[in-house]
Amino acid sequence: MRTVARILVKDLRLGPRSPVFLWAIALPVVFTFLIGAVFGDLFAPPPRLAVVDEGSSKVTAALLDAPGIEARVLGDVDEMRAAVEAHDYDAGLVLPAGLDDDLAADRPAAIEFVVSGQSLASTRLVLGVTTLEQLRGASGQADLVDVTVTTVGDEEWAPVDDRILPMIVIYAVMIAGLFLPASSLVEERERRTIDAMLVTPARMWEVLVAKGALGVLLAVLMGWVTLALNGAFAGQPAALTVFLVLGSIMMAELGLVLGCWAKDSNTLFSAVKGGGVLIIAPVLFTLFPGLPQWIATVFPTYYFLQPIYDLAVTGTRFSDHWLEAGVCVAICALLLPAVAAMGRRLEQQMAAAV
Amino acid sequence: MTPGVVSTIVRKDLTEFRADRFFLVITALSVVFYPLVYWLLPSTVDETLRVGVVQNGLDPVLDALQESDGIELVVLDDEDELTDALLGSELDLVAGLVFPDDLLAAAAADEPVQVTLLVTADVPPDIESALEALASEVVLQVLGEPPPTQLLSEPVVLGDDQVGEQVSLREQLRPLMAFFVLMTETFALATLVAGEIQSRTVTAVLVTPATRADFLAAKGVVGTSVAFAEATLIMLLIGGFATGAPILLVTLLLGAALVTGVGMVAGAYGKDFMTVLFTSMLFLVPLMIPAFGALFPGTAAPWVRALPSYGFVQTVVEVSTQNAGWTEVAGYLALLLGWTIAAFATGWLILGRRMARL
Repeated sequence: MRTVARILVKDLRLGPRSPVFLWAIALPVVFTFLIGAVFGDLFAPPPRLAVVDEGSSKVTAALLDAPGIEARVLGDVDEMRAAVEAHDYDAGLVLPAGLDDDLAADRPAAIEFVVSGQSLASTRLVLGVTTLEQLRGASGQADLVDVTVTTVGDEEWAPVDDRILPMIVIYAVMIAGLFLPASSLVEERERRTIDAMLVTPARMWEVLVAKGALGVLLAVLMGWVTLALNGAFAGQPAALTVFLVLGSIMMAELGLVLGCWAKDSNTLFSAVKGGGVLIIAPVLFTLFPGLPQWIATVFPTYYFLQPIYDLAVTGTRFSDHWLEAGVCVAICALLLPAVAAMGRRLEQQMAAAV
Repeated sequence: MTPGVVSTIVRKDLTEFRADRFFLVITALSVVFYPLVYWLLPSTVDETLRVGVVQNGLDPVLDALQESDGIELVVLDDEDELTDALLGSELDLVAGLVFPDDLLAAAAADEPVQVTLLVTADVPPDIESALEALASEVVLQVLGEPPPTQLLSEPVVLGDDQVGEQVSLREQLRPLMAFFVLMTETFALATLVAGEIQSRTVTAVLVTPATRADFLAAKGVVGTSVAFAEATLIMLLIGGFATGAPILLVTLLLGAALVTGVGMVAGAYGKDFMTVLFTSMLFLVPLMIPAFGALFPGTAAPWVRALPSYGFVQTVVEVSTQNAGWTEVAGYLALLLGWTIAAFATGWLILGRRMARL
């Protein structure tokens, strides 16, 4: 094990000079930013209302707090109209001075409401009735009606940015866990530094264990960072860590198999590009809950991604995921002989090439 | 610069492209993947909320509401039927409202009128709260409670009213796809350049009558033509030339030259495939931001407008979704042209210096 530790320390020392290492660290952060910022709002952007308040009305505060819409106060009517026309807002509202007094005295008040030509008809309706509700609330009329909301069906609603979480996690774990050991092996073969390493007392299995350990360490670390950036620990860091470790080991083993198999970087990239869909496929089923969910269970990565999603988003506990943990362990165990066989094959190829 | 020499180097580079398995796979995947994704995305935007209603005697109010854009009311017999309709997909209801039969009696007894809003778990919060407000509004109108305010006029629509003609998600993604294709080809050029530098074939080329300018011009021609050809093919496959084809072709050509400049820089700094990939990503991630930004409604932030790819994205967006002509996009094209010249000149300069140091 001392040799494994030495190789691991060497890789850790030299790793940051490798673009893949830096890529493994940077990409989850970039993805979190891009996917969270863009796709999180892309499919369900909240209706946006610009408010010009000419008299410090309490209706403004009510609109800013209104659920389901995004209201913002602008300085003047011209600014508001320009912003609405540019579709920076879906609609704009001008609350005149003395509105609260008029509402209190039951005097009809006149307001101006404009909509953006690019806003959806349904969005205009939502903003219109929400505004009216706040005006009625301010005048005390809303007390006449009591609306009870009842949810039908069993499906738990999860917003898109929650459903995207497995995608960000798989990228973090895949690049660090799979790609780093694979590319490190391929790079050492291309530069023939692995030959130099193997003329020392280091054996092939020790090289593979060290490369795999580096992948697992970085994948778990980046998995943690990803979950933290997305605020997804959900009070269960230990359970999430268990599945992150299992997923990282699975990815590292796959990475070692690929790294032993691929003869150069181009082949490795082609294989990851071509086969990557099998690794990230379960993500699609979380993203689109309408798809038949059983299909996801066919893919090995489902068994660590789904528990991570469930623990982080739907509030399940580790005790709900014994089966998935068992399957993960079984897959990792099944991959070990494959790693060993590919290691022997690589050794033979290198011996034949000498 | 000798055209004959340049064309010989171009032919050599194109042969190397064809022999590269990685870029063949990536190119083939792009040609299949992007059009497939495009045609699988919805081609229309559903702007209507379909709401099931169980009611008795509210027809006048509901009929008036039915005339509004953005909502379609489907009257059902009872709550059980409404629940079944919500759980099924036939009527495509987003929610259901159950109004009590004794609405007026409850109001007369000075008690709040009880309305039930049935929603499925996947209803977004804005729709749920809006339907709560809508239910209240219906009841208040039946009770003869006028709104506490009146509008100065009917809501004014600012800008072209696009209700019924909204830009679909697939159309919004068009610039993103075109830019992604150009991006892929940047890797190809950068890898080719880095390979020539590392294997020193560039020095071998320069001991022939070929000059450094010939070499750089050939790389520019290869990068631009390969990127332009593939982007044009993808745009053809996704029906991107339905409007403003000449403008879009010019835009794609400028975009291809822009990313070629980036590819030359990345190739000059790249030592191997990995460093090329990483260096290219350093440039391309910021360049992707305007394409992602086009998916957001509203004006892009000033720093996004300052990015080199902004002119490319805005031209594609405005031509393909708003039928803009040369005059409308002239500013964006000028911006793109400026950035393209700058990127190409930078690529030429940096790669030229790298060659001189060999």
